[in-house]
Amino acid sequence: MHRRGVGAGAIAKKKLAEAKYKERGTVLAEDQIVQMSKQLETFKSNLEEFASKHKQEIRKSSQFRVQFQEMCATIGVDPLASSKGFWSEMLGVGDFYYELGVQIIEVCLALKHRNGGLITLDELHHRVLKGRGKFAQDVSQDDLVRAIKKLKAMGNGFGMIPVGGSYLVQSVPAELNMDHTVVLQLAEKKGYISVGEIRESLKWETERACHVLDHLLKEGLAWLDSQASGEPQYWLPALFSELTSCDVTPDEANQMTP
Amino acid sequence: MSFEWPWQYNFPPFFTLQPNVETRQKQLAAWSSLTLSFCRHHKLYTLDVMEAQVSPVFNNKSIDRKLSTDAILVVFEELRKKGNLEWLDKNKTRCLVMWRRPEEWGKLIYQWVSKNGMVNTVFTHYELANGDDTEGEEFHGLEEWMLIRSLQALQTDGRAEIISMDDGKGVKFF
Repeated sequence: MHRRGVGAGAIAKKKLAEAKYKERGTVLAEDQIVQMSKQLETFKSNLEEFASKHKQEIRKSSQFRVQFQEMCATIGVDPLASSKGFWSEMLGVGDFYYELGVQIIEVCLALKHRNGGLITLDELHHRVLKGRGKFAQDVSQDDLVRAIKKLKAMGNGFGMIPVGGSYLVQSVPAELNMDHTVVLQLAEKKGYISVGEIRESLKWETERACHVLDHLLKEGLAWLDSQASGEPQYWLPALFSELTSCDVTPDEANQMTP
Repeated sequence: MSFEWPWQYNFPPFFTLQPNVETRQKQLAAWSSLTLSFCRHHKLYTLDVMEAQVSPVFNNKSIDRKLSTDAILVVFEELRKKGNLEWLDKNKTRCLVMWRRPEEWGKLIYQWVSKNGMVNTVFTHYELANGDDTEGEEFHGLEEWMLIRSLQALQTDGRAEIISMDDGKGVKFF
């Protein structure tokens, strides 16, 4: 009996077997490609079906939008990344946030002369909802944040400063550095701040505190109150709670400079 | 109808003259507006600076803030520049407040006259400003000095003529 695998014949056989293996490998790859194509087709048509079914949902429900965004994030997709393509065209997600962005700009412009271009996310939300009217679509703060991020990316001078659990939205490119931001966060509690309070809370030198406060005055973000008991206080209209529901009066509108 | 205060009225810094130029401009514009609205609402035609200091307009007790006399004078100067205020004395203690300009008053008066088909009639100043017929009209209670200016404005327009009568002044509308 011959021993297997030994001798020229065996080598030739082996080579043939290897060749056949390779061939099968290629065939397998082709198979896979065909399979994948089919899957892709199915996936695409499922996605289109999803889109048409949920397009309404996306426009109407803020909760749906949040979940949709989170789902996209998990698979590494940013539906707002481009204004063209599937997400934008089929789902109209881009449209929704684009329109919201325009609305946000309008609200900020209308109030700029009052608050210097700084507004709380709460107040922005309140006014955007008001502007949309009774039958308009639901807009959440999450929606606003996303739209603002998009505006920021487009270089519109928008920024968001985290304060007290929420945000201050900056719509005018005033130069605010870390020092300014920290003082704004401190001021958020009462709507005003003083040199003494900054020194106590942040352990800064007087000069540093004054520098920041002067800058806020210069940018029109803060007003000086020299009748406060003790030391002067610096108040921010953006944080003045009584202002939130106050409409822009015709007088104020006349005072606005473009 | 009670007077509606603007949001600035309850904002403590509103009563401090702002150091930043742009902010101060906004502040003075708001103060001018507020002063005129208040005077219009209460039909005040003159203001005394000393009295103004204790009046609710420049003195918000609820937030314990008030405009200093100096600041009040700055506001008044702003109003004067816009043509809404005139000093009655050199020492600037008392002034006329024109929340409506004489031309505008004249127009209102003429409208009432023509609406009631009373063109070509002669009125005494008293009848116009204090008569029963004009009660309810906005110009009812108009002070004499303003009435005269308004009629003078109409006269310049050729729509009225001020007449001197035995027992006072009168006017005829065309």
